[in-house]
Formats: sequence, C-alpha cells, structure tokens
Amino acid sequence: MIEFSCPSCSKKYRVKDDVAGKKARCKECGAPMPVPDVAAATSEAAAGMDAGSSEVLTGSTPHFDYEISQRPDFALISINLEEGQKIFAEPSAMASMTPTVTLKAGFKGGLGKTLGRALGGESMIINTFTADNGPGEVTFAAGATGDAARYTLTGNSLMLQRGAFMLHSEGVEVSGKWQGAKGFFNGEGLVLLKASGDGEIFFNSYGAILSVDVTEEYIVDTGYVVAFEDTLNYNISVLPGLRGGSKLKTLFFGGEGWVCRFSGQGKVWIQTRHVQSFLSWANPYRPSTSR
Amino acid sequence: MKHQILSRPAASVAKLKMDDGESLTCEVGAMIAMTTGFEVETTTRKKGAKGGGLGKALKRMFAGESLFLNHFTATNNGQSLIIGPRMLGDVLHFPLTGGSLIVQGSSWMASDTDIEIDATWQGFGKALFSGESIFWLKCSGEGDLFLSSFGAIYEVEVDGEHVVDTGHIVAFEDTLQFNVTKAGTSLIGSFLGGEGLVCRFSGHGRLFCQSHNPPGFGKALGPKLKPR
Repeated sequence: MIEFSCPSCSKKYRVKDDVAGKKARCKECGAPMPVPDVAAATSEAAAGMDAGSSEVLTGSTPHFDYEISQRPDFALISINLEEGQKIFAEPSAMASMTPTVTLKAGFKGGLGKTLGRALGGESMIINTFTADNGPGEVTFAAGATGDAARYTLTGNSLMLQRGAFMLHSEGVEVSGKWQGAKGFFNGEGLVLLKASGDGEIFFNSYGAILSVDVTEEYIVDTGYVVAFEDTLNYNISVLPGLRGGSKLKTLFFGGEGWVCRFSGQGKVWIQTRHVQSFLSWANPYRPSTSR
Repeated sequence: MKHQILSRPAASVAKLKMDDGESLTCEVGAMIAMTTGFEVETTTRKKGAKGGGLGKALKRMFAGESLFLNHFTATNNGQSLIIGPRMLGDVLHFPLTGGSLIVQGSSWMASDTDIEIDATWQGFGKALFSGESIFWLKCSGEGDLFLSSFGAIYEVEVDGEHVVDTGHIVAFEDTLQFNVTKAGTSLIGSFLGGEGLVCRFSGHGRLFCQSHNPPGFGKALGPKLKPR
C-alpha cells in the first residue's frame, strides 16, 4: 500500500503498490499527480521529525566504556571496566558479570543522602562493582521492561523521577530532593532524586525514552517524566489553554490530571508508557475476596 | 497535521506536528507531552457538535472508552503533541478517505476532530460472544485515525473469508461483514481447544489484528495478584 496526497489540493489517497511511479489524475480537483514509489511515500510522512530509535548506544568515558543494547524495550547496559575502575548500582540491577569484578554492598554518601535516596523511592543500599582482578564487564538491566539512557554530569545536577536511577560512576552523588508543595500534586511522590557531581549517570524507564530539548516551555504529564536538567524550572498545573470553567472539568474528567510545565533551557527525558495505567488496566482481573 | 510513530512496536507513541487551527480528539489520558500552544477542551461529544452528545457518550462508555473526550486544538504553528496508549503495544495510523472503519472499543486512541465516532451495536449474539466490548466504534469521514493494540498489529487483506479469534481484532473496514461462530466443527471441541468462539469475516476489505489478546493476558495474570 502506498499513501500519498494530491500535491495541489492535498486530498489523501491509498493505492496498491503496483501502480507506483504511474501518473494519475486527482478525483477531487482534477490536477495531474504522479503516484510516488513506496520509499518516497514513507519518507514524506516522516519529513521534519526526529526518529525514535532502537540503535545501540556506545561510548567511552574517563570512568569506563559502555554499551546500551536491546533498546528500546529491553535495554541492557554493559559496562567495561579497566582494572581498578568502579561503578555504583542500585541493588538487583546486575544481570551478569565477569569473575574479575567484586561486588560490595553498602551505604553511600552518609546518613542524610542515604535517607534522601530512600525517600526518593530508591534503596538505601548502593552496590559497588570494582574490577579488582583485571579488566571486567558487568551487565545491568532494570526491573521493568523499557529503555535506558545515559547522561554526563559536569558539575550540574539532573533531577530524576522516583525509581529511575540505575547506575553512576565515581564522582556522582545521588540523593533525594524535597519538592515542597509541588510534590503533593505530581502523584509520584514528594521527593525527587537529585544526581550531581562530575561523572556518568544511567537511568531507566517503563517503555521507551524520548528526549526533548526545551527552549521555552514544554508540558509533560507528571507520570511520564523520567528526568530533567536542573537548569529547567518546573511547576505543577492543570492543562493550560483551557477556557474559564472548563479547567476543573478537564482535571477531573479529562484523565490528564496534573502536568509538569517546564520552562527555561534544558533537556527533559520522557517515557512512552506509565506503570500506573498498566496497573489500573490489570486491577479488574484481580481475584476478589469472598467475604 | 504531520505524524510519526516512534519506538515501535512495543512502546509505540504517535508524535504529531500541528499547525494553527488543526485539532485532534483523543482518548482520555492519551496525552504524554506537548508544547504550550494548545487549547484543551473536555467534552462528552464531538467538538463543535451541539446537543445530542450524551447518548453517544454513554454508548462510547459501553464500548470500553471513556464518557469524555479531550480535544487538542493548536493555537500556533509548529506545535507538537505526543500521545500513547496504556498497554505495551503498537500504534497504527489509518488515513480515512471517506469510508468507514469499525474499531474494537478499546483500540481507538485518537482521530481528527472531523471524523465522526459512533458506537455501533453489532447485535446481541455478536455482542455477547465476541469476548470484547459490546459496542464497536464506527469511525467515518476523512482524516487521520490513530489506533492502539496490545502487542503488534498485522494487516490481513480479506477477499472471501477469514477467521480471527475474538480477542485479536483491532479494526476492520465496513465493507466486511462478520459473524461469531465456533472455531472447530463441534462446540465442545472448540472450547476444549481453547479457541472458543471466533469471528468469521466475509467480503472484501482490510482487517487489522493484534498479536496478543488483552483479556487472555489479564486472566493469566489475575490469579497471581493479591485479591481485592
């Protein structure tokens, strides 16, 4: 099937593949129009937009080399450590590793940071993987099926949604950050995670991750925010552009609930699925107690 | 309106580029992210329609959709909107060009505001046994239609007859007729074989199926969950 539209009146057509390249006349306006071939028709539809990707992300950093494969549905992070290099991970994220790597579990960053992480929906324990006996490889995967992304911190901070943190390199601190009254409305918890320092951080999502460069303002449903640079300001509000009186209606019946309104310059990472909506779909299938 | 389907097939979303005045009607909760130049309106009826909305809205509710619809209208050029379904699965773009498409209740995600969406009653027997919602949504008019699935979507060109298990139908062109029959030659055999009842399509037209069956997954999952 080829989909294309008339160049003069943009009426849409759908034709069989075997008429590709032939000339036709538009039924609507009578203008002559060539039927594009299959490849041209596909690229026309995608013109001017960036593609979501399943490509393998690789790179080397001062701390280690990494590869994120099996994207976007089952992201697997491989970290290649030189002898003596370290990576820090949330508990149970490790999938496999070479025997040259030793694992040590422990609190990190003192009592305040540890409690902060706990309030941010993460474990108090952080696992340290060190390539003690020669170079080694550790692979990590998140608990939920989904994508993973990497970010390099250079003295700035990255805010992460509850549970999104996976791994970090040396030089990075992860703690909780109290969001004040804003936290009450975002539905995900009162405390966000804050990663700061100099180094690498990896985070994960449910569903794929799309990154958006915000230049002025951008709106994301609170449940879909994975991470954002701290150069962005945000506030929690109902959907904008509503006429008077319809604000409440959209809030309660429109199902979009609260949204995060970002402003300033920076990057936001959003996930394409929300665990909560899957859970509410699964809920009716739970057995009921017969009491 | 330009569209692109991203991160297919399991985590698909539709990304739309809209210009001033273009508008889209979405299922409640479909919006993931957007730029600020949109006006959002929640109604029980088609945008701009006067009266008569409640009956249709109620029917839509029986079709497994919400009573309410969200209308996003761009108030500026170059606005972008990202919408996605609840379940892991694909998004299908279907350009309607005057005909009608019958959509399984919970598969409808969004459509051009010009497209008429009406819940249709498929008859009592079909409703009771097709294993999905009682109503189907009939989408007609001209414009873009976005459907969602659980699992992957595949297309079947029906010319003559085709049989689909009831939980696997996403949508079909209204040039097709269907009736609900047993899968095997005997009724008991059909149920023992786990296929139960099937939809037998006949005629000439396109049929869209999903690789996985949501109630099937729900029933497998249910007993392992904590009781309510």
